[in-house]
Amino acid sequence: MFNFDLQKILQIFEYNQGDPLLFGTSSFLITFFFLLVIYRLLSKYKNPRILFLIFFSLFFYYKAAGIYFLLLIFSAISNFYFGKWMAYYKKQTPRRLILLSSLILNLGLLGYFKYTNFFIKIVTDLSAGSFDPVDIFLPIGISFYTFKSLSYVLDIYFEAMEPTKSFRDFSLFVFFFPNILAGPIDRASQFLPQLEEEFFISKADIGRALLLIIAGLIKKNMIADYISLNFVDRVLGDPLRFTGTENLFAVYGYALQIYCDFSGYSDIAIGIGLLLGFKLMDNFNSPYQATSIADFWRRWHISLSSWLLDYLFRPLQMKFRNLRNYGNAIALLITFLLCGLWHGASWSFVLWGALHGFYMSFALLFQKPKNKFYKKIGLFNTKLLRVGQVFITFHLIVFTWIFFKVSDFDKAFNILDQIFNFFKPEVVPQFIESFTPTFVLIVFGYVLHFLPRSLELKTADQLSKLPFVIQALVLALVIWVVAQVQSADLQPFIYFQF
Amino acid sequence: MISDKFKSVICKELDLDPADIEVNDETKANEVPGWDSLNHVNVILAIEKEYNLRFKSLEVLKCKNIGDLQKLVDSKLG
Repeated sequence: MFNFDLQKILQIFEYNQGDPLLFGTSSFLITFFFLLVIYRLLSKYKNPRILFLIFFSLFFYYKAAGIYFLLLIFSAISNFYFGKWMAYYKKQTPRRLILLSSLILNLGLLGYFKYTNFFIKIVTDLSAGSFDPVDIFLPIGISFYTFKSLSYVLDIYFEAMEPTKSFRDFSLFVFFFPNILAGPIDRASQFLPQLEEEFFISKADIGRALLLIIAGLIKKNMIADYISLNFVDRVLGDPLRFTGTENLFAVYGYALQIYCDFSGYSDIAIGIGLLLGFKLMDNFNSPYQATSIADFWRRWHISLSSWLLDYLFRPLQMKFRNLRNYGNAIALLITFLLCGLWHGASWSFVLWGALHGFYMSFALLFQKPKNKFYKKIGLFNTKLLRVGQVFITFHLIVFTWIFFKVSDFDKAFNILDQIFNFFKPEVVPQFIESFTPTFVLIVFGYVLHFLPRSLELKTADQLSKLPFVIQALVLALVIWVVAQVQSADLQPFIYFQF
Repeated sequence: MISDKFKSVICKELDLDPADIEVNDETKANEVPGWDSLNHVNVILAIEKEYNLRFKSLEVLKCKNIGDLQKLVDSKLG
């Protein structure tokens, strides 16, 4: 006979702090399977289908943040009405006042939950007082959904879109569970029109969704979790216990880990979105293939970089335009300092952002003499130069990841000191021998990363042509393989903390 | 409708030959070679200088394509 444990089933519906429905966990996969079945049954009935998705999304967020799901509802209500009021007024002054109110409310809430202790610490440090942190719960994903909701109000302010009349549709845009915790930070102007269309998923969409979910599981649950738990965290947690060789591999490993962790999550989110009939924004495009830092930001966390470009950099650039390139450089520095702070309330994130801002400004101001020099030595527009640029860009980025990973500056300098002053090439064979699976996964991860995009498209196409049963078997096989390699405990997605 | 003068200001700033470039009302800035997010400021300044006018930041930020920018210039001259 079946042995139902009612208590266990009921637990699925309860909020347990630190136990969200993470993509890739068995509880999520089972829940998602039932969601998909019901959703498909409702596919012809628009209103029940959307309402079902809204309630499931709220449940998903409740599982992650408990009572703070009310904050999400408040965010949706307030921004829906800010958008509506703004469109009502034609004159600039009331529109500006509404925008200002929306910014104060959204950023004020984000600031309170995320940055209160950081600013209290700055004030107490300056006044040489003692710092008593305030106990504030950080609602998961708040940075993501705040920016997502704000983009709606900002787009109406810039007259890039008309406000929606439907609070139901806007709620789904804000609550949509695949991207609520860690993006992509979608735009209402791209999401809302999809609700006007009839529910339809093409074979190509299913093939792409399957590939994205498989890639996401491999990246996040296999590569990122394994190398972080078994290697990266151990070395970078105590860099002085290891030689420069291990420290260097750990830093390369971390660069791969953060990419696999975050882009893996995005891939699954986009794949799940596709299976529900929604196309979310692309968020990554082989970022370590970038030939410059500017190129990196066109490939890394695209939904955030384009948000910052449209709503922060462009307005700043226009303000400082009389300074021409120097104005651009100032706008870049401010944008990246705030980009760093968006990632977390600590000086190491600020430094990480400042480094990117500095790289970009420096490259901008020296672009002309640099190109002149490349032309003079006959390297301009050559393959060799591109390879060199990818190599240098990658290392400039890896350098910044050190500060992103370790919050304590002393530790960051210890890592650099070990790499530059205690590098032992003779340790390499020993390292490969003692960390064989880690080494294999790092190499596998980077090889996968540098494969051409055409191969990805071809694989998605092949997957879409397979019969449904074979597709399900392929997915089951990947889940099984990932489960075999997976470390004992699932690591939380790095990007949730932002 | 994009005027020849308007097109030539853009091409001059971006070092392009007007004969090689197809520009219409719907063309977006990023579809014009060299008109990227950083060079944008130089194109705007070149237009302001050529027509001897000054845009408000928000007016430029509202432009979705080159046609909108041309209309903005026309309205200022108008």
